[in-house]
Formats: sequence, structure tokens, C-alpha cells
Amino acid sequence: MSDDTRQRALNRQALTATTFVEIVDTLVDDFDVIDVLTVLTSRSVELLEAAAAGILLADGDGHLRVIGASTEQVQLLELFQIQNDEGPCLDCFNTGNVVLNASLDASSPWPQFAAESARAGFPSVCAVPLRLKDAILGCLNLFMSEPVLLSDAEVALAQALADVASIAIVQDQATREAAIREGHLQHALTSRIAIEQAKGMIAERGRVDMDDAFSRLRAYARNNNRGLTEVAESLVAGTVDVDSITHVRRPPPPPTARQR
Amino acid sequence: MNAEQSTRIAVAFAREAAKSPRSGLCAAVVDVLAVSGAGITVMGDGQAGPVCVSSRRMAELEDLQFTMGEGPCQDAFRSGRPVHAPSFDLSVIARWPSFVDQAQECGVGAVFAYPLAANGVKIGVLTLYQDDEGELSAAQHDDSMALVEVLTETVLSLQDAAPEGALAAGLEDAVTYRAEIHQASGMVSIQLGIPATEALLRIRAYAFANDQPVGNVAADIVARRLRLTDDRHEPGEGG
Repeated sequence: MSDDTRQRALNRQALTATTFVEIVDTLVDDFDVIDVLTVLTSRSVELLEAAAAGILLADGDGHLRVIGASTEQVQLLELFQIQNDEGPCLDCFNTGNVVLNASLDASSPWPQFAAESARAGFPSVCAVPLRLKDAILGCLNLFMSEPVLLSDAEVALAQALADVASIAIVQDQATREAAIREGHLQHALTSRIAIEQAKGMIAERGRVDMDDAFSRLRAYARNNNRGLTEVAESLVAGTVDVDSITHVRRPPPPPTARQR
Repeated sequence: MNAEQSTRIAVAFAREAAKSPRSGLCAAVVDVLAVSGAGITVMGDGQAGPVCVSSRRMAELEDLQFTMGEGPCQDAFRSGRPVHAPSFDLSVIARWPSFVDQAQECGVGAVFAYPLAANGVKIGVLTLYQDDEGELSAAQHDDSMALVEVLTETVLSLQDAAPEGALAAGLEDAVTYRAEIHQASGMVSIQLGIPATEALLRIRAYAFANDQPVGNVAADIVARRLRLTDDRHEPGEGG
């Protein structure tokens, strides 16, 4: 191995290690998934000596979307594949397999994309799936400015980077979903508590019992075309006057009084 | 924690919970973990309520933590980490004096609290009670960590099924159990002209000063047998 080659190998090892540390560093509690993917695209370009990189992700309906690209040109190329429904990235996403060193000449299985990519200065492309267990989330695409061949080791490295990105994406989705569900639970809890507090406030002001207080609260909500919980919360927050609810005009009681 | 263990605990839990859907989650926890008692509390905004307890004894201890605002449950929720008190040594007594008093009276020798948390959110606490002093076994601890994930998902799924904005039927107990306390807070807030959350603190303080359970004080307020007085006014004057 020449000194120059050895030095390049060492540099790449160091950069590989730094990249993984950098990505793990971004995976803290409040990480931004776009941040992680931006780091991933720019480092894949450096590590694998690609000219550019892009990431496609499937949305909830299974449609691919461009999520990150190291250059504007690649962004357009990725969109081109989605719009024309052909290209190495789509094949990679549909099969879950690496599309390796596809040379984009006349013999390419994607004639329209090959022409477009060659025009943009990328005669070769490699697509690696973003996967978690059996699920394919999207793919990482590397665009080469020369018809170079990535070695097995380089493809393995690209896959390792893609796997880290997949973890980040799945974790981000789980965190978002959990936060939404927790929000619903907390809101339901505080609303329910607010109704009890509101009953107490009306009962005290109007010198009535809790059932009567509740029916006044409900009558006020109906008369004003507002939700029961919302009125209770406003009362507790002090944005609705307790007297206006306590002295609400109520319809005559129904024949069978409903107990709460 | 590995996936295999989570699955094993989930299955054991589901089997136990299905046996007695009425007494519900806590009975299943006690059986799966082989502990003396358990309580599951849903918490939010400092307001909390037990969804279930495995026995009357545990209900008192869970209630006391709410009354005093102190105990393993609060500490676990605040820190987001498990809190272990394998015996009530001096440091534990210093941290939760009232809780330890009551726990010893109830014949409890050790307590362990695990936050109900998953994917960055906290929704409550699982508290385990042991009659005898001593640490949980490593297996019990690992199983508890797995069970906490299952319980968190169970509580969130219960709520998912509820109409928007309404509290799920299975979680209603967390509020109705303390309905009188919230009603009393509303009454005191009018009497003293203070926000309901502050009124709750006043009720707690009164209960503590008079050595009464907060539930009894609330019941007296709701029945108008008791009226809290404003320090700034003569006794009996309301706001």
C-alpha cells in the first residue's frame, strides 16, 4: 500500500468514526430528525466520495417524498424519479435491496432517468434502503460524478449509515406519536377535574348542591352553544364570571330527572 | 430490556388482567411481580389520581401521598427514574416523614416506584409495596421495567378509545375517586377568592395541620360542615 493510499484509508477511518459519533450525539432527547438526516447526507458524500446524496422517505400513505438532499440538483433528480415513477431509488424502495453501481447509459432499465442524471453530471448512482426489520422506510441515494464502482466495504458503510438514520426516523415517529397521545390524556384529565372544580364553584356561589350546580353548568353551555368542558375550564381560569353561570336561565326539568 | 422479556411480561399481564377485569390492572401487577401490593396513578399538572389499587391499605398510602404531596410516587414522577426504598432508614424518613409513618402503620416495610413512561412522555407512576423489608430481586426489577412499558401503553390505549376530550371510562376513577376534593377546591376558591389550584393547597394544609385525611376535610367542606377561613379576614368570612 502506498503512503498516499494508506493516508487516505486512515483519514477515512477517522472520518467514519467521527461521523458515527456526530450522529449519535444528535440523537439526544429532543433531537430534530431533519438535523440527523442532513448530517447523514453530507457525511455520506465525504465518506464515500460521492458527488451528491439524497434521502427519500415514504409518508403515511406509502408515497415517497424527498426529505434531504446535499444539493438542489439532486433534489430535482429525486423528484424526477418520483414523478416519472422510474429510477434506481424506486427500485431500491420497492424491493428493499441495494441497487449497486448502476451505470446510467443507454442500456439502463430507466431510460428517462438515465438521460436526466447523465445530463446533470452523474453517470453512476447507488441506492441503499432505509429499513427497520422488515419495513422499508425509504432510501439513501449516492450520486457519482464518474462511473466508479463502490467496493463491498463501501456499500456496507453506506448501509450502516442508512441504518442509523432509520433508527432516528423511527424514534422520531414514536416520540411524536407518544407526545400526541399523552397530550390527549392530560387534556382529558384536566378537563374532567375542571368540571368538578366548576361544580364546586357554582354550588358555593348559588348555595345549591352538586347535581344542581352541574345542571346549571350544562344549561349555560347549551344556551351559549359552547362545550361543557370548555365552559368549565373558562370558569376555573376566571375568564367566565361565576354569577353568569350560577344565575343561568334553565329550561323546565325533564319528566324524569337525570342524576349525574 | 429485551423484546422477549417484554413479550413474556405482556402475556402474563394480559392473562392476569383478563381473569378479573373488574379489579383490573393492579391485581394483575401483584400476581405477575409477586409483591404485596401495588397502585397505579395517572398524573398530570400536579393533579393525580389512582386508576387502581390492589387493596384498601394501598389506597390509604396512595391517598396520603396526594394529601401531603410527598412520597415515592411524586419523586419517581418528578425525576422520571425508579425510586427504591428497600427499608425505611433515616434518609428515607427525612425525605417522606408522613408517608413513612403511615406506611409503617399499614404494615408496609418497603416501597418501590416506577414512572409510567415511554418515548419521552410521563403519564403516571406504578408503586409497588412489600410487607417485608428488602430490595426487589433483579428479576422483579427487570420485570417491573418491562411492565411499566406495558402499563403505559395500556393507559394510553384506554384513552385512545375514548371520545375526543372525554376521559376514558377505565380511567374515570382517577378523577371520581377524588371528585369531592376537586369540588371542595372549587368551593374554597369562591369562598376565599383564590384560584382552584391554590384552594387545593389550602385544603391540604388544613388537613395536615389538623391531622385528618384530605378526603375527610373535602367531604366536610362539600357538606358545608367546614368553611376554611382566610388569614386576612375574620373566621367565617368568605371571599
